[in-house]
Amino acid sequence: MQADALYEDLDKEELERLEYLADNIRCPMCSYGNLSSSNAPISSDLKQEIASLINQGYSDQEIFDFMQDRYGDYILLDTNIEDNRSIFLIPLVVLVISILLVTTYTIRKSK
Amino acid sequence: MTTRAFLIIFLLLLLSLFSFFAISLQKDYVQPVKNQEGKPLILDRQLYTIDGIKVSEDSLLSGKVILNVYASYCLPCRVEHPFLIEIADSKDVKMVGISHKEQVSATKDYLEELGDPYDFSILDLDGDFSLKLGVIGPPETFLIIDGEIVAHRIGVIDINIWNEKFEKYF
Amino acid sequence: MVLLLSLCAALNNIFMKESRYLSLSNSVLAFILFFYLIFLVLTSNPFMIFEVSPLNGSDLNPLLQDPLLVIHPPMLFTGYVFYAITFSFVIAGIFTNFDKELFKIIKLWAGIAWFTLSLGILLGSMWAYYELGWGGYWFWDPVENVALMPWLAGTAFTHSLTFSRNKVFLSWMVFLGILTFLLSILGSFIVRSGILNSVHSFASDPSRGVFLLSLFALFSLVSLGLFFWRSNFLHSKWPRFMSRNYLLVLNNIILMTILLIVFLGTLYPIYYEVVYNEKFSVGPNYFSELITPAVFALIILFTAEQFPKILSMDKLKLFIILAVATIAVLIMNSFSMGLFLSGIFLAILIFKAIFDFLSKKKSLKIHKVLGHLAVASLTFSILLNHEFSKNIDFKIKPNDEVEFMGTNLIFKSADVIQSQNFNSVVANFEVEDEGKYFNIVAEKRRYKVGGVITSETGIAPYITKDYLVVLGDLKPDGSWVVRYSIKYGIMMIWMSSCLLLLSILYGTVRRHDY
Repeated sequence: MQADALYEDLDKEELERLEYLADNIRCPMCSYGNLSSSNAPISSDLKQEIASLINQGYSDQEIFDFMQDRYGDYILLDTNIEDNRSIFLIPLVVLVISILLVTTYTIRKSK
Repeated sequence: MTTRAFLIIFLLLLLSLFSFFAISLQKDYVQPVKNQEGKPLILDRQLYTIDGIKVSEDSLLSGKVILNVYASYCLPCRVEHPFLIEIADSKDVKMVGISHKEQVSATKDYLEELGDPYDFSILDLDGDFSLKLGVIGPPETFLIIDGEIVAHRIGVIDINIWNEKFEKYF
Repeated sequence: MVLLLSLCAALNNIFMKESRYLSLSNSVLAFILFFYLIFLVLTSNPFMIFEVSPLNGSDLNPLLQDPLLVIHPPMLFTGYVFYAITFSFVIAGIFTNFDKELFKIIKLWAGIAWFTLSLGILLGSMWAYYELGWGGYWFWDPVENVALMPWLAGTAFTHSLTFSRNKVFLSWMVFLGILTFLLSILGSFIVRSGILNSVHSFASDPSRGVFLLSLFALFSLVSLGLFFWRSNFLHSKWPRFMSRNYLLVLNNIILMTILLIVFLGTLYPIYYEVVYNEKFSVGPNYFSELITPAVFALIILFTAEQFPKILSMDKLKLFIILAVATIAVLIMNSFSMGLFLSGIFLAILIFKAIFDFLSKKKSLKIHKVLGHLAVASLTFSILLNHEFSKNIDFKIKPNDEVEFMGTNLIFKSADVIQSQNFNSVVANFEVEDEGKYFNIVAEKRRYKVGGVITSETGIAPYITKDYLVVLGDLKPDGSWVVRYSIKYGIMMIWMSSCLLLLSILYGTVRRHDY
């Protein structure tokens, strides 16, 4: 006999969306991890809720917004790149500048 | 010359790092999740008490209501329980419990053992009502005035938290 | 930690003959020891320091009752202590001018410290994978990052030792030695002071945080002060363009950038909390998007370094190749492309390793190519893991089966077993994959003291993929919620890490007889 899917009304594509969403939403009770890496009861509850939201026709972005509205920004695992360009750019800038400095200095010295 | 410039930059960086750490040592704990203050209490279904009686919408939406999410399996709930009894006795407020994800018999044993501060307890067997309310896990306490959540505590409530967040509404 | 530090200092004195830098190193160690002892005496009972605070008198959290967990933090701390010793010799070198013998000592200690720290991180990561039951091995959790930072600095330090032997960039090496030590102190400050997980801060004493901070401030001011004061005396040469040393300098720059990324990713949320009083989410996407290209740049560098002939090529041509490669790396964000690239580099390195192994002269230095090979294969396996691993959740009754990614999972039975500390449900599964059959046992335990429920993941490890089964709740209709995952490359990750560790160890002890 075949086992039942836990989220009955979802087809294969929707299940993949569910995994994606659970991977990118933080477990509100944990200090760091996401829903799919957590054993806290709230995580499986939220996963069920996301499944039912998918069922109701919510898009991924709408579900992220929904969660953000209820639990705040921290619930989204990913860092928002647009709002925080500085922490992405600082290392890049440092990298490029130091490589350029060292290289030009080396070339000048070796001449 | 370059060494001196480096030295100064370094000192400045280090000093700002130290002061930043010193400040951050004093900061309070920041809740990872937003609380639900300012949102309306939404009743989208018929609720029942643990005794199987229908809960009227009016009993939750009018006046001052304290909603406390608890469960017998939750250890911190036992910690805050005496304080809840104290509040129920001393304040003019309706105290409503939400029995979070457990069988009626376990809840009743728990209330028998520790005393029952609640006017009535709502049965939330699958935790869905709590989930929609924004509960992440018991214990949590809401103060609802005329259907609006005005104060929300995630975690154990005690006299300090009460004075800080709840007392001003009484 | 204090005990260990003094023990090592004593060992030092037994094994090494009297010399000027030994006495200097001893005074530095004594200086460090002195302050740590004050710290112990003033702020905490020594027997309390690494103890996990019990939850309302319950048992030690079952997740912590695991041998891997018990050894990995001491391992990390031992690594820190070894870096403290390395640091003491570096400081001694500042005063005595580095000679060959001192280099040998520093190299030895740096190698041992590097090895221990890597081992500690690896064990921690294994613990996360096998015990936490989440199927993950690295979470970019702040506590992990804090251990990674001294490791990155230490990696750069060990590499810088190879070029500073010829007095190239000597002051940079000294700076890295100091930095590694300071970062390990910073680590203990961040983890122990309670600024990270303030949920538990009621358990830790605020004075401890203040003291650790002042220790960190003191050590960094003194050591960097010494560095800047004496750095004029350290005459450094500058590497030639496109020489091996030049590549090593580039390698150091990239490692420092990765360090900066991790540093920002760990500290920016704390900063944000202080300023805005809100949590700031730094997700794995921040680290992986920034670090993946950097790691690729590193792989390109060290692969090139293995072939000295490339370096003597026409410079313009080489520059164009490098520029194109860099741009490709920067644009490349999709993982499969990364998989492809790392696979190519891996293949090149494997060939090189085989050739080196066959030649007598080079086989003595095999650890170099093997260590770098390990990094390439580690990258390859991590990307593999990211790309192909999948999970599925379902409800299942005994004797039912589930088909997933070409495999069949059969739930054979669930038995209740009583044991001394806990009651457990043991579920037996059988996996069928391309005609092969094997068993997986997943378990769910309820501890008698404290009533904590834990889930023991059932794992069937194979070279290319691991099969994981996690037992969830029992539903009223008698079926169980089960999570079944197939994770690729986990074994390869462990094997590459072990290869890396062995190379480090071999490289360290090769020139020393004791």
